[in-house]
Amino acid sequence: MSAHAVGDQPGYVAGRTLDDWNAAYAKVEAYFQALRVGNRLLLGQLVSRVLDRAMDRAQSEPATAPMELAAEEMERVVTDWFAAILEVPPDESDPLLTTRGRMALLLADMPDRWQDQFLKPAPWPAEFVTAMRESFLRAGPEFQISRMDPRPIDLGPMTTLTAWGRIGWLRMLVAWVAFAVLLVIVFSMTR
Amino acid sequence: MSAAPDISAQAKEPEGAASSDTVRRRASHRPRAPRRRSAQVFLFFSIAIGLTGIGSLLFADLLWRSGWSSSRAVLLILFAILFLLASIGCVHGIYGFFLLRSGRERQMRQFGDFRHRSLDGANTALVFTIFNEDVRRVLAGLRAVHQSLAATGELERFDFFIISDSNEPDKWIEEEQRWFALARDLGALGRIHYRRRLVSEGKKSGNVRDFLRAWGRRYRYFIVLDADSTMSGSTIVDLVRIMETNPSVGLVQTAPRLVNARSAFGRAQQFANRLYGPIFTAGLNYWSREAGNYWGHNAIIRVEPFMNFCDLPQLPGRKPFGGQILSHDFVEAALLRRELWEVWLAPELGGSYEEGPPGIIENAQRDRRWCQGNLQHFLVLFSRGLHGNSRIHLLFGILGYLAGPLWLAFLVVSTWILWYRENTGLSEIVVGAFTPMINLSQTQHALLIFGLVMTVLFLPKVLSLVDLALDPPRRRAFGGIATAAAGAVVETVFSALHAPLQMLFHTKFVAATLAGTSVHWTAQRRGGDGTSWGAALRQHAGQTGLGLAWGALTWWLDPKSFWWFTPVLAGMVLSIPLSVITSRESVGQALRRAGLFLTPEETSPVPELDDLERQMAAPDTLHTLGTGAHRGLRQALVDPYANAIHVTMLEEKKANPQEAASFATLGVGSEGAHRLGSRLLVKGPEALTGDERLLVLSDPQLMLSLHREIWTRSPAELWTGWNLAPAKPGA
Repeated sequence: MSAHAVGDQPGYVAGRTLDDWNAAYAKVEAYFQALRVGNRLLLGQLVSRVLDRAMDRAQSEPATAPMELAAEEMERVVTDWFAAILEVPPDESDPLLTTRGRMALLLADMPDRWQDQFLKPAPWPAEFVTAMRESFLRAGPEFQISRMDPRPIDLGPMTTLTAWGRIGWLRMLVAWVAFAVLLVIVFSMTR
Repeated sequence: MSAAPDISAQAKEPEGAASSDTVRRRASHRPRAPRRRSAQVFLFFSIAIGLTGIGSLLFADLLWRSGWSSSRAVLLILFAILFLLASIGCVHGIYGFFLLRSGRERQMRQFGDFRHRSLDGANTALVFTIFNEDVRRVLAGLRAVHQSLAATGELERFDFFIISDSNEPDKWIEEEQRWFALARDLGALGRIHYRRRLVSEGKKSGNVRDFLRAWGRRYRYFIVLDADSTMSGSTIVDLVRIMETNPSVGLVQTAPRLVNARSAFGRAQQFANRLYGPIFTAGLNYWSREAGNYWGHNAIIRVEPFMNFCDLPQLPGRKPFGGQILSHDFVEAALLRRELWEVWLAPELGGSYEEGPPGIIENAQRDRRWCQGNLQHFLVLFSRGLHGNSRIHLLFGILGYLAGPLWLAFLVVSTWILWYRENTGLSEIVVGAFTPMINLSQTQHALLIFGLVMTVLFLPKVLSLVDLALDPPRRRAFGGIATAAAGAVVETVFSALHAPLQMLFHTKFVAATLAGTSVHWTAQRRGGDGTSWGAALRQHAGQTGLGLAWGALTWWLDPKSFWWFTPVLAGMVLSIPLSVITSRESVGQALRRAGLFLTPEETSPVPELDDLERQMAAPDTLHTLGTGAHRGLRQALVDPYANAIHVTMLEEKKANPQEAASFATLGVGSEGAHRLGSRLLVKGPEALTGDERLLVLSDPQLMLSLHREIWTRSPAELWTGWNLAPAKPGA
């Protein structure tokens, strides 16, 4: 990173303020931490590597904010590395490459076992490569799609009852008869 | 059951190959229940009818002595119905007692010699159905079952499925996270599976049906477990062995034991379940036999007939009776039996557990859910082709909820008679009893009926204690006979106070169901120490007021009659403190220290339950981005691993035609969904409705692109809450 400071005014690196680079640093660091790269030495190295690339671009892209540059470089570094280790062409043909890569990191247990290999250029330990390439997540076994259709239940006498329920006038009639029965009960009980 | 098992045919049959006709034909080879069985069932219920006849005759005579009236006729009818229900319970207890005394192992004889049966080819799915549950508890239970099965050496025969209908984003993401962590931790990513439906149709039965459509044909059996279920590995293996040994059996229901209660209410229910449950289930098993019932979980089911016959149709008419069959389990058992598949209860199998509600209010909330479903069975009750026993199961389910309003009606009519007598100013002329055999005063006559009712109600409890006293190992497991008897006395007092509240709750639920309205529940604020006074006041104020008013009225009408009402009114008047105090864990634990309500699972360690308890007591190691609102959405969008798991699982759904169609139904990939995503990025989760948040979470491409945007956009273009703090374990 120091190479970029040559020729900069005090308080500036690669033509941008230290505060701008500080914010960019924090963002990249947060992402690697979210990937559970916990080793401080490795974390610092990874962030520096990304920021170096961002600073290279900063000279020629004065309109782009350092954080934006850093985020783009971070994405590029990670995607290229996923493509390399998973042996996938690093183009736009696989929109799920990063998802697959992150999943492979998790399944290969990168945070606990292989932090030092993350973003490192080839060659990698064979065990790590195998773990990355052969890891895939399946939520369930192969589908064996089959039909399951409801069979009608013959409700017997209830069929008639439920059919009656659809008739508006009959419902009203039932309500009036019920009211009349209620009157009879009240009359009878008060005698 | 008694026929020789057709093992070879079953072993050779390709999975899912048989047509429904074949299935039915094969099952129909089983001989029908012998005529002797019908006579036994007739005798069983005739005893209850006989008891009801005696009680009703005495009651009719008592009413006759003070002058007959139409209101007394109504009262007599109500008494007869209620007494019949109590008598049926009593006969279950009496039969159960003698059956258990004649040997508990007898209960299992109908399954033949299954213990050494091989499980070759008997692929079985363990299906955990969940809906916005405590995810950690569910997964801890699953882990306990997994480990217990592993200890049997038969783990490779089983696959585990968590099938979720959760519609809270936080729960959805937490389920994915915890499932992944558990499966990876156990090295069981290809054995423990997780699936959440994008569109939930048909509630729990629809959830199970969709599971069967996607994977059912891979398995010969499936075992349904609820979110709070736990089963021992040996019990699960035994269930599969029973099915393998008995090819005419379509379903075996275990009798889940209530466990893990901490509150006083929960422990009282648990104690009652463990002490009285065995004789009731033995009695139930006696008359239901191969036409048993299904209680929705902790049961093994043969996939093929279930898929052929148990996809439930919509009932005709409108709600509350029409539409989807809510309490599906009873009906599924009835349909299996209709097609001549046997449905058995295995009460002595053991190793099957569930948890109960911790307080009176939670218990009522659960009843509210079940009430409509059980009343709906009225439509199915007279369906053609059902086995008579299946109709009895359905009828008991209905009466379980109608008993409340019937009892209330009995009390109202009694009060009415009192009021009428006082209001008319007519003096009561007491005449002699109709039979010279009963030469009793009116009070003695009333006390005789009261004694008969109490005997019918409490005899099963006494028989349970006698059974316990005669069984030394079980007696010790309950902490000794004195401790158990003391617990039974306290439990009886509590249940006497609780019963009137159940009556009022059930009356309200039945009325609300018939009116097609919902019952309002205030949100529970449950901490470590149960129902708050405020919540209890809101839920029970009406019951307390009714108890006080009713008490004042009866006292004003006739102080002598008032005392007959006090057992019922006491529960109503004391409902608020009763609800609060019994919901408290501190009270439950104090009772435990005092030796009350001890159960075998509390006095002797059960490996699966110990494992579960250990897991729940251990620190939570799940990586989360905090505990605030929308934590699930934040996790899935910000955390690179949570996002990867979520997107991968959504992508996988595209291979299932059912789920693929759901993407379109929801509007996944639409312009509208993208607009929602943009709004979410800039304004945060609160700018979206619940359904909109679910839509965003259901869109794999959108989730992927939002994750990228959050990590690459300038903070000035993002909602401030998308903070990029690293994940913390157990935060």
